[in-house]
Amino acid sequence: MVLNEPVISLRDVGIQFARNRRRHRSVRELLIHGRTGTRPDEFWPFRHINLDIDEGEQIGVVGRNGAGKSTLLRLIAGVLLPDEGSVTVRAGVAPLIAITGGFEGELSARENIHLVSGLHGMTREQIDESFDEIVDFAELGDFLDTPYKHFSSGMKVRLAFSVVSRLQEPILLVDEVLAVGDKAFRRKCFRRIDELIATGQTLFLVSHSAGNLRRFCKRGIYLEGGEMRADGPIEDVIHQYDVDMGTLDDPDDNVLDTDL
Amino acid sequence: MTSLRGRPGGFTTSTDRSGVIERVRRVWEYRRILALLIGRDLKVRYAGSALGYFWSILDPLLMSAVYWVVFTQIFTRSVGYEPYIVFLLSGQLPWQWFNVGVTSAARALRTDAQMVRSTNVPRELWIVRNVASTGVQYLLSLPVLAAFAIGTQKAPNIDIVFMPLAIVMQTVLLIGIGLCLSPITVLVRDIERLIRIALRIGFYVSPVLYSVNDVQRLRKLHDVFSWNPMAGILTLYHSAFFPQELHWNYVEHSAIGCIVILAMGLFIFARLERPVLKEI
Repeated sequence: MVLNEPVISLRDVGIQFARNRRRHRSVRELLIHGRTGTRPDEFWPFRHINLDIDEGEQIGVVGRNGAGKSTLLRLIAGVLLPDEGSVTVRAGVAPLIAITGGFEGELSARENIHLVSGLHGMTREQIDESFDEIVDFAELGDFLDTPYKHFSSGMKVRLAFSVVSRLQEPILLVDEVLAVGDKAFRRKCFRRIDELIATGQTLFLVSHSAGNLRRFCKRGIYLEGGEMRADGPIEDVIHQYDVDMGTLDDPDDNVLDTDL
Repeated sequence: MTSLRGRPGGFTTSTDRSGVIERVRRVWEYRRILALLIGRDLKVRYAGSALGYFWSILDPLLMSAVYWVVFTQIFTRSVGYEPYIVFLLSGQLPWQWFNVGVTSAARALRTDAQMVRSTNVPRELWIVRNVASTGVQYLLSLPVLAAFAIGTQKAPNIDIVFMPLAIVMQTVLLIGIGLCLSPITVLVRDIERLIRIALRIGFYVSPVLYSVNDVQRLRKLHDVFSWNPMAGILTLYHSAFFPQELHWNYVEHSAIGCIVILAMGLFIFARLERPVLKEI
């Protein structure tokens, strides 16, 4: 790896989704042309995104619902492919991008810990080593052998965060989900994120909480109207977002909610 | 930047689709994770319940019993070879693998949607994993065939050495079919019904209940029949006990079929991966 090469590079990235269910009819077209042409029923959450992230940077992502924040994270996690441009990621990614964390509902917490850690390439010894830590952190108690699908949303997130934050991948993606946990657990998560940042973890945080964004991120990205409206110091980005939303100094708005 | 992990650290995605060789190489890089997934499948199947093994052989065993009764007790058997039960099982067990393998591989991306959506591993892995774990189930069902062979005092002949070839060919065929069908199943749900019907028809046009030699007299139809890729594979399995079953022209046709279908599968999968990831 070349020194100082950005750990994440996005070049002119765009992605396209279908708005309705007609997409099913286009399988033949996809097979023949490899892609479908732009039609009125298709839209681009964003286009022409250029982004370079250095190792150890912490990025906060803001934007309204549907602005493409989660889509951006999924592109960086490599579980979506861009329709334009290219995404290059030069290190392993630990994604916490869905509330279920990619965990299998039928399997118990214990089996999920092994499976998800294993899918991220951890060896059995490494998993055994951090197993107790994961279980303690997630406060699973007697539910270690309970199928994941029976867990409450809060418990799911606790387990998911606990596992994903211990994958020892250089890049961590966290998408809103933490809001589901209770206050005490959130506090624990934040402490854990602090620890990771101290060790040089690259972090991508999607959040509607300005407090969290300020606490963890130095740099902000603001997605709006299919493009990157702003990319700069987190304070400026939050400010611009609030100005655009008309939520500046609005104490009722959760954008200004400061946890802790 | 790679680590000691069983997977590489980074990746690049763009509008260019990576070539077939590159994709196959990536699957190979993830072999340890593949082994983990297969191991988990087997654990779920065999360690989950006391009767786990029994359930996995019950279906082919019962069906073979039914066919045996129908074709030796009710009809007068004019096809296949004696002992008919050994003939039946030597084809029925791999057919069961084919059947379960196609069904589960075709559904693979939907069954594991949660994982596919959040874990960046080569997506082909989910198909290979299903083919491999149903394949291991087939291997574990072989003692049943051995038991019937011993019970009927039917000794295998030297052609049994071709069995690994049959297994390799069937693996290639199933991966090819799985790669073709699994992305289409995500985009067009109805296809699953068609697969079920096709499999049922496939059973009767493949030499499981009868021998390829019984088809020889059909002249024209026989040429078409030989291009069924499962026909050649089944003759190899049968020939372990019945040397007169071995027809190399069938095996050649079958090998061509397997390779063509695998190539098609790799092509279709690469083309449809992008929309599939958006859909699941």
